[in-house]
Amino acid sequence: MHILLADDVGTQLLHGILSWDFLQFVVAFLSIFGLILTSAVILILAERKIMGWMQDRVGPMHTGPWGLLQTVADVGKLLLKEDIHVSSADKLVFLVAPSVFMAPVIATFAVLPFSPYIALPGSALATGLVFLVAMSSLDVVGVIMAGWSSNNKYSLIGGLRSAAQMISYELPLVLALIGVVILTSVLAGLPGYPSYGGQAGVGTISLVEIMKFQNVWQNTGIPVLDFIFRGFTPWRWFILVQPLMLVIYYTCGLAETNRAPFDLPEAESELVAGYLTEYSGMRWALFFLGEYGNMTIVSAITTYLFLGGFSGPGVAYLTDLNVPLWGWVGNILALVYFVLKVYLLCFVFIWVRSTLPRLRADQLMQFAWLILIPVTLANIIVTAFLYLVSDSLHLPAVVYLVVLGVVNWAGLFGFVWLVGRVTVSTTRRAQAPAIRAQLRSRPGAGVSTPVPALPLRDAVPARVPTLPQGAGVAAHRE
Amino acid sequence: MAIDQEFNPQFNPQAQVADTSEGIQSQEMLLNMGPQHPSTHGVLRLILTLEGETVTACTPVIGYLHRGIEKILENRPVMGGIRYMDNSDYLSPMLNEIAYVGAVEQLMNIDVPRRAQYIRLLVGELQRIASHLVGVGTYIADLGAFTPILWTFRDREGILTLFEALGGSRFNVNYLRVGGVLHDFPKNWLKECEAFLDQLEKNMVELETLVTGNEIFESRTQGVGYVDPQQAIAYGLTGPTLRASGVNWDLRVHRPYMAYREVPVNVQVRQEGDCFARYRVRVQEISESIRLCRVAIDKLPGGPIGTRTPIALRPPRGETYFAIEGSKGELGIYFISDGSEYPWRAKVRGPSFVNLEIISELLRGHRMSDVIAILGSLDLVLGEVDR
Repeated sequence: MHILLADDVGTQLLHGILSWDFLQFVVAFLSIFGLILTSAVILILAERKIMGWMQDRVGPMHTGPWGLLQTVADVGKLLLKEDIHVSSADKLVFLVAPSVFMAPVIATFAVLPFSPYIALPGSALATGLVFLVAMSSLDVVGVIMAGWSSNNKYSLIGGLRSAAQMISYELPLVLALIGVVILTSVLAGLPGYPSYGGQAGVGTISLVEIMKFQNVWQNTGIPVLDFIFRGFTPWRWFILVQPLMLVIYYTCGLAETNRAPFDLPEAESELVAGYLTEYSGMRWALFFLGEYGNMTIVSAITTYLFLGGFSGPGVAYLTDLNVPLWGWVGNILALVYFVLKVYLLCFVFIWVRSTLPRLRADQLMQFAWLILIPVTLANIIVTAFLYLVSDSLHLPAVVYLVVLGVVNWAGLFGFVWLVGRVTVSTTRRAQAPAIRAQLRSRPGAGVSTPVPALPLRDAVPARVPTLPQGAGVAAHRE
Repeated sequence: MAIDQEFNPQFNPQAQVADTSEGIQSQEMLLNMGPQHPSTHGVLRLILTLEGETVTACTPVIGYLHRGIEKILENRPVMGGIRYMDNSDYLSPMLNEIAYVGAVEQLMNIDVPRRAQYIRLLVGELQRIASHLVGVGTYIADLGAFTPILWTFRDREGILTLFEALGGSRFNVNYLRVGGVLHDFPKNWLKECEAFLDQLEKNMVELETLVTGNEIFESRTQGVGYVDPQQAIAYGLTGPTLRASGVNWDLRVHRPYMAYREVPVNVQVRQEGDCFARYRVRVQEISESIRLCRVAIDKLPGGPIGTRTPIALRPPRGETYFAIEGSKGELGIYFISDGSEYPWRAKVRGPSFVNLEIISELLRGHRMSDVIAILGSLDLVLGEVDR
């Protein structure tokens, strides 16, 4: 067979490799695989060091300078470990469960845009949010498979508990995101904001577009201001308008990823061992890489929806210049800002883990169903109602945003107060029988009860001079 | 297992089958929270009978840490046996030693010089702080918070360093002797002790800010494991477990011994009787012990640190019971001597052993996660239970 190549394929290749496009592709590849997909690797070390510093110790120091190669050593050890198979009936399910857990995590990374240009082909997916929520729902399947196939009643109970936790916290997670979607449909079509189809009230669920809603700036013509604020308008970020939803989304993210304080499935000190007991070596590592990957995804979505995504000073200005070199610098800058924001939120994950104790299983469920879902539903109603009011009064959108922001910030502090009050009231109710019993038994007033009337066995004298006659005459050493 | 049938009176090979309201048959499950478990604070084994998630019966099995300490004491001269008392409650060895030498002194009518009594008070209160730090830290670690245990252990390092300077060993110091203590303080020890106490107060404030107001911690411990005062006295509970149920009983105040006859103690009592109250009593006792240490350092008299006693002590024939307020409760030694240099019998009344009795009653009706909370709040040390 004869393959015909063009005459100048060599020069075409050379031109292709030495072009800015190829350079961007290389940087994209390395950055994505170096910083985002393998953020799990960096986060493992970061967690151990940061938790160590918070606990007044230094963390791993031995492997590499200041312990920086610790994860390399960990991965090496896990790869070399014996792969123990459990002798269960469902061998295929057992072997496949870690991959089923990890696959949605990797699939989600395909739709996350990291920078205006550096993106994988799927990141402009128009149904971004729905795809992400669908992928996070698939995580539950992997957990149930792991718990079931371990052939161990404690793993089964642990897996079912974890699945129940993950499913329960999906609902407030999605409802928290709907508040942001409502905001985009309110703001679409207004001057400066993107509009879709010319109709009023059509928003977006694509992550790239939601970011555009947060970075709106009219060119003033002054280069310095344009450079800093074009594409970087922190006052429009949705964290100022709906902070309560950020907190609730983040909390649901904690529960989705089985992190403290919702880490009942991984708890070493609880009775039930958890769904990943029977996994060793790389299979166990896949579960944990999936967990850290989920952590990164939750932080990334929080960044997109509430913190403006990859926006930062200078990004949009440089990329709009249409000069390859500056465009490339702008993309790198965007990546840096994005990574900084994501890692800041991951730091908060680690911070929360080292601070809070663990919730009990029923308290966990109560928190999701009785507190989070009503609050998120109320937020949706309030957002829509305020828009109805402001629209019928023909107020400008800014007023609507400011009022909504004030209501939400008040709601945030009210939410914290509400959780505190609910805890106190339930514990007072739990303590009530005890307090009532004590009030019944005490004859009069007084803070501390005196020694009660029961006779104390105090008849033992301090010193008995002689043993009774005939006692203990067995041989004794003199 | 044979041992289950032997020790668990409710064990039934055909486990009790109950009909629920929907007509589904449910079976009780036997769960062994075995001697190897991160949260049983030692080698305690609990055989739990569970109905779903609720505990219906509980049988503790002990003896996994039995080392025959009381028998060993019968084969050692008194001074040689002091060091074995360190191993009984291995988290508060100094207090164990105080009890043992106090029993012998009471039998022999030896008057301990005042300086030695104050030194014993100071060292005993430091040991109480160390033991409570471990108890509080491990309790919170069981509940899932990873940070406070490292802070409490860091603070405990200060105490252990002081003991190392004082007696040569961090843990089992073997510092007390019949008639007094081994030797006097090294140079600058008292200054370092005061500096440590100042730092500890600041650290305790930090710890309380992190833990005590935390809603998660409160909702896991409040209302859980309630012990009412009549029940507490009936079971013979002592120590912080008793004082958290509203009973004002502290041997340092109500049966004072050694320097406690001159130094008053504020007894920390709480009314709620649940796990949270037991935790709070221990934290408050740490503050109270810090105050007592400072009082002891201020009022430390001069003088000898021990009365001369022969190395081969021969207590006269007789028996005596001497009890101190240990960190877990009333730590008593019932000492019988037959006139020789070896004790005839030295029976240790371990407070953890007596406090453990209430577990089978207390766990009934609670959920599995509460088992951990209740067990940790009792602050058991298996060395004292099994000896």
